[in-house]
Amino acid sequence: MPAILAVAVLRDGVLSTPTREILGMARRIAEQSGDQVATALIGAGVSSFAQELIASGTDVVYGSEKDPLREFHTNLYGEILEHIAEKAKPDIVIFPGETTVMDLAPRLAFRLGAGLVTDCIDFEIQSGRLLLTKPVYGGKALAKMRAATPRIVVTVRPRSQAPLARDPRRKGELIMVEVPTQPRVPDLVLVRRVAEEKEEGNLEDARVVVSGGRGIGGAEGFQELRQLAKILDGALGATRAAVDAGWTPPSSQVGQTGKIVAPDIYFAIALSGSSQHLAGMTGSKVIVAINRDPDAPIFRAANVGVVDDYRNVLTGLVGELEKILSK
Amino acid sequence: MHILVCIKQILDPEISSQHFQVDRGGKKAVQGDAALVINPFDENATEVALQLKDRQKESIVTVLTLGQEPSDKALRRALSMGCDEAIWLKDPNFEGLDSFATAMIIAKGISHAAHVDLILCGRQAGDWDMGQVGTLIAEELSLPCVSTVFSIDFEEDKLLLRKEAEKGVEVWEARIPMVATITSASSNQSRLPTTKGILSSTRRKITVWSAQDLRISEIPPRRLVVEDLMVAHYGRETKIIEGENGQEKGAKLAQHLVQIKVI
Repeated sequence: MPAILAVAVLRDGVLSTPTREILGMARRIAEQSGDQVATALIGAGVSSFAQELIASGTDVVYGSEKDPLREFHTNLYGEILEHIAEKAKPDIVIFPGETTVMDLAPRLAFRLGAGLVTDCIDFEIQSGRLLLTKPVYGGKALAKMRAATPRIVVTVRPRSQAPLARDPRRKGELIMVEVPTQPRVPDLVLVRRVAEEKEEGNLEDARVVVSGGRGIGGAEGFQELRQLAKILDGALGATRAAVDAGWTPPSSQVGQTGKIVAPDIYFAIALSGSSQHLAGMTGSKVIVAINRDPDAPIFRAANVGVVDDYRNVLTGLVGELEKILSK
Repeated sequence: MHILVCIKQILDPEISSQHFQVDRGGKKAVQGDAALVINPFDENATEVALQLKDRQKESIVTVLTLGQEPSDKALRRALSMGCDEAIWLKDPNFEGLDSFATAMIIAKGISHAAHVDLILCGRQAGDWDMGQVGTLIAEELSLPCVSTVFSIDFEEDKLLLRKEAEKGVEVWEARIPMVATITSASSNQSRLPTTKGILSSTRRKITVWSAQDLRISEIPPRRLVVEDLMVAHYGRETKIIEGENGQEKGAKLAQHLVQIKVI
């Protein structure tokens, strides 16, 4: 019987990247414990993804599909998942840390009588027990936790685990599961999706991220940051303070409660470096800090620092980069 | 409409990393000089509730907390912001709880209170960052729940909830009773207490309920064990770019980035 159950998420009709990451994690746990990896896949037309899930590390795919599942419904999905868990009897359930399934993990843990660790970034197996590392206190501390219950549910921070290389020769099986028609808890209706005024470039995939904080002073200042991002083919990021002030859209927030990024270069401009922001970007290869305050904590996290008013520094930086890049 | 907001008193999350210390044996943060504040996302939740009340004057906003002394300070602050009633779930046995026990006790508290239409919680608390209690309360009470909501509108007998989603914003429709967890946005930055609010809040009565009042005979055991808690270190060796003025430093920064081959 499989002892690890990964929950797959489809995004825009394809398997989400965090899903591939948790499959990699599930496989690595399975290698040490000798368990099987099962994956739950709920949605419409899901059976076509079974082979891809198997190639990415799954042994058994539990699929459930029906037309109403085209749109994500927490309560209905929750009941199907509970049903799949009854069949798969997992000791460990792993969710990708995506907002769509955020509500499912606590509901499933509740129903399974399992402990729940959210936002894990790492794991180890100690005397046969799964030990999970999770940032706490806004990223200022790391906690290692394990279940006091026989079963555990885990959600994993995107980009913290490496996906497996796809192996199309891997073998596995697909088991289809019947769907209940009526959830116990009344479901909600998604009225509409509003495409947000969106920044250029995808923050999470960008090679260069240019982020600003409270010290930018207003929405106008962010235009200068956009210019730097543009010439380096990068994306714009921001601290929670800047987003809460309404200077940039919420999708640009980097940090513990925003996006987690790990670009080749991260420009941290006029931001102090609160730990909750650091928690979202310390995976970056090179961190460049520009700040007027030499004592700003961001300098301790940076590889390169410039102490001065960001406007003047950006003028010099952008001018010189344009010269260099035009060659 | 009766809106109930769950708040938690935590160590000020704005405390700088340099002053942050943990007690590794006790597996918790050391308070030191840090103040105790309302969890910021719970303040956003309080603000969302008060904005609903601003538009629908007959609404009642109750604020509820579970915790030891001096959690009443958090309740007083919420009252001074404009909340109508305050409930304090306080018992010597309500200590060292995990998310599941916390949600169970709060759900008992909510069931013990006057009929509640809308329950709001912050999306997560800035201490353990678990983000579980709101959804677990919904599960305890068999209610629907929408997470990471930043604003709510009331339309006849249904609620329209704007939620931060993977891409952009989603608008969900729900009927009361329901639960929502609230995230921070420019529209829900919490209002400051007024002088009048502060004065009247000190005279207001806080309802205190013990385990016995809620008929809780047994606290469920913790589902998780914290094996270790350590301060996170993000330090790197930093090269400071020097120059005559900002512009020159900027140009030198560009050259340095080319030199270390990241551009």
